[in-house]
Amino acid sequence: MSPAAFALRSLGRDPVRAALGIAGIAIVGALLLDMLLLSRGLLVSFGDLLESTGFEVRVTATDALPGMGPPIEEGNEALRKIAALPEADEAVAVRFGEGCVRLASGRERGVGVFAIGFNRRKEWTILERDDLPAPNAGPGASEVPSLLASRTFASEAGLRPGDRVKLRPGSPGDESVLPATEFRVAGIASFPFDGEGSRTAAMGLPSFSAAHLGGDRPRGADPGGEADLLLVSLRPGESPEGAVAAIRRVAPGLRVFSIEEFLARFGRTDFSYFRQISAALAGITGFFVFLLVATLLTVSVNQRLGEVAALRALGFSRRRVASDLVAESALLVGAGAALSVPLGLALARVLDGILRTMPGLPERLHFFVATPRAFLLHALILGGAALLAAAWPIGLAARLPIAATLRKELVG
Amino acid sequence: MTPAPETSEGAVLGGALVEARGLWKTYPMPAGPVDALRGADIRIGRGEYVAVTGPSGCGKSTLLHILGCVDSPSRGTLHFEGRPVAGLPDSERSRLRLTRIGFVFQRFYLVPMLTAWENVEIVQSEAGAGKAARRERTAELLDFVGLSDRAGHRPSQLSGGEMQRVAIARALANRPSLLLADEPTGELDEETGEQIASLFGRLHAAGTSLVVVTHNPALAERAGRRLSMRGGRILEEGA
Repeated sequence: MSPAAFALRSLGRDPVRAALGIAGIAIVGALLLDMLLLSRGLLVSFGDLLESTGFEVRVTATDALPGMGPPIEEGNEALRKIAALPEADEAVAVRFGEGCVRLASGRERGVGVFAIGFNRRKEWTILERDDLPAPNAGPGASEVPSLLASRTFASEAGLRPGDRVKLRPGSPGDESVLPATEFRVAGIASFPFDGEGSRTAAMGLPSFSAAHLGGDRPRGADPGGEADLLLVSLRPGESPEGAVAAIRRVAPGLRVFSIEEFLARFGRTDFSYFRQISAALAGITGFFVFLLVATLLTVSVNQRLGEVAALRALGFSRRRVASDLVAESALLVGAGAALSVPLGLALARVLDGILRTMPGLPERLHFFVATPRAFLLHALILGGAALLAAAWPIGLAARLPIAATLRKELVG
Repeated sequence: MTPAPETSEGAVLGGALVEARGLWKTYPMPAGPVDALRGADIRIGRGEYVAVTGPSGCGKSTLLHILGCVDSPSRGTLHFEGRPVAGLPDSERSRLRLTRIGFVFQRFYLVPMLTAWENVEIVQSEAGAGKAARRERTAELLDFVGLSDRAGHRPSQLSGGEMQRVAIARALANRPSLLLADEPTGELDEETGEQIASLFGRLHAAGTSLVVVTHNPALAERAGRRLSMRGGRILEEGA
């Protein structure tokens, strides 16, 4: 009879205790899995979002988040140098701004505006009608600048593709002398970094500048072409690391990040709380598994010391006794771990749904993301806990003084 | 019932199976060390049936444990089949117990979640016996102890006498050269004890070397050789 078969029968001698133990491991294992999914979930999800735009390298003026810090002053020059690099396929400037729209009720609503240079990759998905027209679209192109509206913006302002809408620079309630600019709604689009209910408008850079949506700089006072962010896509076969190094050489005053570096920066700063909290909780849950299994096995061994001593007297080796206990521990933890995966995924889904109701989060951003790394760590931590938990009862059983135990059992 | 299964030595042979000289066993106790054995000498020949009797605490079980290589003497020497046991690593001692020595305990110590068949088979499996050989040997032994019809029963479904018979079958499973029994009738009523005594008689008749520690005079009387112990010494020996 193999140690695994023997261990299975050993667990069967007290099925209620075994079932409760497995249930306990399943629950703690589910929490452990959730902590592991959470520890890097935001980063992985954010990385997916960044990759979905099709741009592998990002350039900013400072280490601040794009749009949160000062812009790149000489954006046009930097863009020209970067676009000329052999590694670069496309390089475009991005501006972030703020505008407001007056609703039919007379109330004003704020609208997040971003403008991007024309490129083959699109950061958005068209839901209705047309994309922004290409620059120099030729005869027949509308003289009224175009924008794309998010679903919420369109619905709150009662806009449909083809409608006209006036956007004023600044926030609702601001006193501003800058005039509102009329735009034509080319289409309705969804934007990857939009949260639920975000009012967003996207447009070309010339329209953005003309409408003063980036601030109250007088017309014509931006000869260098300010940019909050430069996005660079690479030619096939080019590595982000090589491109980053090349861009740093031609634009030494700017901050250049591959997606990996961008995420690493987030991991160190903005998302580090999640990582630290989840690492601490993962450690605690792993320790609970250890305690649970160690207690179960120690109680089990203590209840059958006489039997173990008799088996040793009959010639069972220490290794065999140890193997039986390792197998018993592995069965307990293995069964608990198998149950913990669907349980953990279901729990993660619920928790993710709760956390994603936080305002301002991109709709496609998730806190709990299942990755092979998380499952591997889950298995390693549980396996390690099982082995460690078995160590004490194994020592107890393997070092048992056979004669003294038989004598004690008889007297007892 | 079939004839008694053979032990590994088969028939009675002349040489010493076990030879112990000047055995001392001292237990450290809070009130001071206690000598359970005080210079005991014993020689067990092949095919012998030896009964060890004496009052409680005289060192009978200690002697049995040392002869069975589950305990070590504080002083003295032990040779099993001519081989010194002292200094053997634990793995070799385990192997020796598994293949050359059979143990029968007062409290049976059957594995509760295994059937009678599995209890007899598992020690053969541990010794590395093949499946077919295990099946044949287990059937043979359960038939020998009269429990073929109880093979699928767990210990909790067996009487005390039946459990002890399964334990005897288990002890014989790997064809040991020596069978040691520590108060094998201690937990049984008189009638059932008599059945076990009869079983030991048949084992001896089939050539099995036996050392039985007992308070049961009926069991001791069946032995070819009776040793009495007192105060850690083997005081008298008689046929």
